[in-house]
Amino acid sequence: MQAITVENLSKTFRVKRKEKGMYGSIKAIVHPQTEEIRAVNGVSFSVEEGEMLAFIGPNGAGKSTTIKMLTGILYPDGGKAEVMGIDPTKKRRQLAYLIGTVFGQKEQLWTHLTPYDNFRFFGAIYDLSERETERRIGELAERFGLGNFIDTPVRNLSLGQRIRCEIVASLIHKPKVLFLDEPTIGLDPVVKENVRELIKEMNKEEQTTIFLTSHDVGDIEKLCRRIIIVNDGRIVMDDSVEHLKHHYPVKEAAQANEDSFASLEEIIVEIYKSEESS
Amino acid sequence: MLTAVKNQLRVCLLSIKYNMMREMVNKVAFLTNVAFMVLNNASILVQWFILFRLRDDVGGYTFREILFLWGLIAASFGLSHILFARVFSLSELIIGGKLDAYLVQPKNVLASVMTSATDVSAIGDFMYGIVLVCVCKPGVRVFFLFLLFTVTGAIVFTAFALLLGSLSFWFVRMDMFSNQLILGMVSFGTYPDGIFRGVSRFFLYFVMPVGMAVWHPVHVMTNFDAGMLFTVFGYVSVLSVTAAAVFYRGIRRYASGNLMEARM
Amino acid sequence: MRRVKREFASGSLRCQAGREARCLPWRKYAVIYGSVLLENLQYAANVAMGFFSYFVFIFIFIKLWEYMYRTPGELIAGYTKEQMIWYVMMTEMIWFGSNAASVAKEVSRDIRGGNIAYLMNKPYHYTLYILAKYTGEWSVRLPMYAALAAVIGTVMVGPLPRFPLTGVWAMVVCVVMGLTINAVFKLCISLLSFWIEDATPFQWLYDKLILVLGTMFPVEIFPEVLQPLFKLTPIYTVCYGPAKLIVDFSLKKCVEILAAQAVYLAAGCGLMFLVYRKGVKKLYVNGG
Repeated sequence: MQAITVENLSKTFRVKRKEKGMYGSIKAIVHPQTEEIRAVNGVSFSVEEGEMLAFIGPNGAGKSTTIKMLTGILYPDGGKAEVMGIDPTKKRRQLAYLIGTVFGQKEQLWTHLTPYDNFRFFGAIYDLSERETERRIGELAERFGLGNFIDTPVRNLSLGQRIRCEIVASLIHKPKVLFLDEPTIGLDPVVKENVRELIKEMNKEEQTTIFLTSHDVGDIEKLCRRIIIVNDGRIVMDDSVEHLKHHYPVKEAAQANEDSFASLEEIIVEIYKSEESS
Repeated sequence: MLTAVKNQLRVCLLSIKYNMMREMVNKVAFLTNVAFMVLNNASILVQWFILFRLRDDVGGYTFREILFLWGLIAASFGLSHILFARVFSLSELIIGGKLDAYLVQPKNVLASVMTSATDVSAIGDFMYGIVLVCVCKPGVRVFFLFLLFTVTGAIVFTAFALLLGSLSFWFVRMDMFSNQLILGMVSFGTYPDGIFRGVSRFFLYFVMPVGMAVWHPVHVMTNFDAGMLFTVFGYVSVLSVTAAAVFYRGIRRYASGNLMEARM
Repeated sequence: MRRVKREFASGSLRCQAGREARCLPWRKYAVIYGSVLLENLQYAANVAMGFFSYFVFIFIFIKLWEYMYRTPGELIAGYTKEQMIWYVMMTEMIWFGSNAASVAKEVSRDIRGGNIAYLMNKPYHYTLYILAKYTGEWSVRLPMYAALAAVIGTVMVGPLPRFPLTGVWAMVVCVVMGLTINAVFKLCISLLSFWIEDATPFQWLYDKLILVLGTMFPVEIFPEVLQPLFKLTPIYTVCYGPAKLIVDFSLKKCVEILAAQAVYLAAGCGLMFLVYRKGVKKLYVNGG
């Protein structure tokens, strides 16, 4: 079964344009000019249940907008999206029970509370009974190794401990699909590795579908089989990581060391660049 | 349906409880905050001692009614800020794009947003209001009415703030304006309605909801009138429904993404 | 003879250098003032929002006094209705116009946050630096509130009877003196931060004293037992004096109030320098 299907999804923002200076400000009031920005422009793809997908692209390529449309925060103005068979624009709350979100740069935990209290709060949000919540916390705390600091206020935790708690909080209701937006941003290499391992395990044991965006190639290589690259609101590449690595013709890198293949990082840079020039 | 409401309530209460816990981490700061707010309110009474030295009534109010008025506005302002402080800074959330977190939760967006913050000094306001009315030895019935009107007043404050804050979905620089209007509401509401006549009276009943938040209730407390009581109820319901409707219209606009200008 | 000449020459040189040194220290305060003035012009829009609060407050008082005065020409505590309302408008103008953060919050923050260590060793006196900044702040606000008050007053209350245009300069001096005295006292309180963790409660008490007892009603309206007491507090020089002078001008009052203000300013500054010196000494001993 498909966890996510997206057909011809589009989103256009109207942005007010203002000329510089005092004159421009006045002109903008009298005669407002708007500019259309096609943030997402006819994107189609689908994700299998249990798959781990990397959804990447340069800043402003339309990644966040796509995630926001898939989670029901933003409404598309063209095309169709379905997550676990639900249209996010129509049944946002029903969908919310089935998905989890982790935004690396935005905190959803209460920092003055302990992780344990936080998890109980999220349990209540997702209508779990006390017993269920307790069981789930125990299970996840063990798997994510939170035992030592589950009773320490979140503000006293290290960034790595905190992000682990963020992930656990978003898993409390056993979501079918987990959206991870730059989950490893700002972490040191050891912690990064640890977080990746945990996500992988999560996926294996609960068959959670993972939709990952990241600028960190390590995240992609370690976690995902498949990669979708977007730029300017369009999909420019939808391929398996393995295939991409072996078959993408990289000029400079291939010349530099003929017998080995170019690294994924080099390939991605190459794709971004060629998109820019075209 | 009933379980959904029960679950929603559970989340809201938990949210309020956690807010309180956050504010009480520093106990000394918490207590000074509350105590100073009580003192602050009490100091204004000097003004009324002076005014009642000059006349036996001010705007048709006796000193006792002035105490009721003050008690009511302090308690309802306090209650709304204890439970729903976030509504009073709603503009910030909207303009900063911080509603996303509430939109991915399977709960009522409005309820989650409203209960996501508290204001400790409001506890001082609330307590001051209760004490002030108790000092007047109101009797059981009037005290009960006072509690009832504290709740309706708090709803008026919250709904009015929600209405103004929601305008930020359409107009970006609403935040300062809405704060000023709320403060203005408190300023007007701490004076008897008898001094306002004509246009200003109309304005204070129909544009700024001071009349229904405090003046009508004070009249009902001193001179019970069932008609007035139900007018207040009707007004509170209409205002709340309107405010919620505007908020949800705003959410639809938020989801259409045309607010995204600054944060793409 | 030649020696005398040379001495004379060098003497005059020294004199010149001395004059330069004497005028320079004042110039830097002017520069501080100027730069803050510019910065604050940008916030003029924000000040406009404060207009709303001011208007609401004055509007309520107009309505209140319209109710309290029942017959035309009636006097309450020696004031006509117009004078009573203008009195509140003036004290509130001073209050709103002077309500600037630098003397209160910034000083406490500088001291508690340790920033003072850097500001202390600059070639200016820290307290005067703050006062110059503060002056830059109110220079923008006060004229705006004055203009607003003039408009509200003429449209909604009516002009003051017997308002002497020749006395305006004295009123301006009086208001400026009042603002400065207020700032000096608030600064003194902020300097307490050298010793205590948080000076805000004291700041608050002082503000309440001015606001509740000084701005809403003229001193004459309070019970007679209290009136002499009020004249001893800063209320007399900060808000009562200037406002009284505006609503009921007389040369005698003008001299009286200005003299009181001069005494207050001198005493306040003396106290300010003393507290600052003690505070800095304490900082050196304890190393902050």
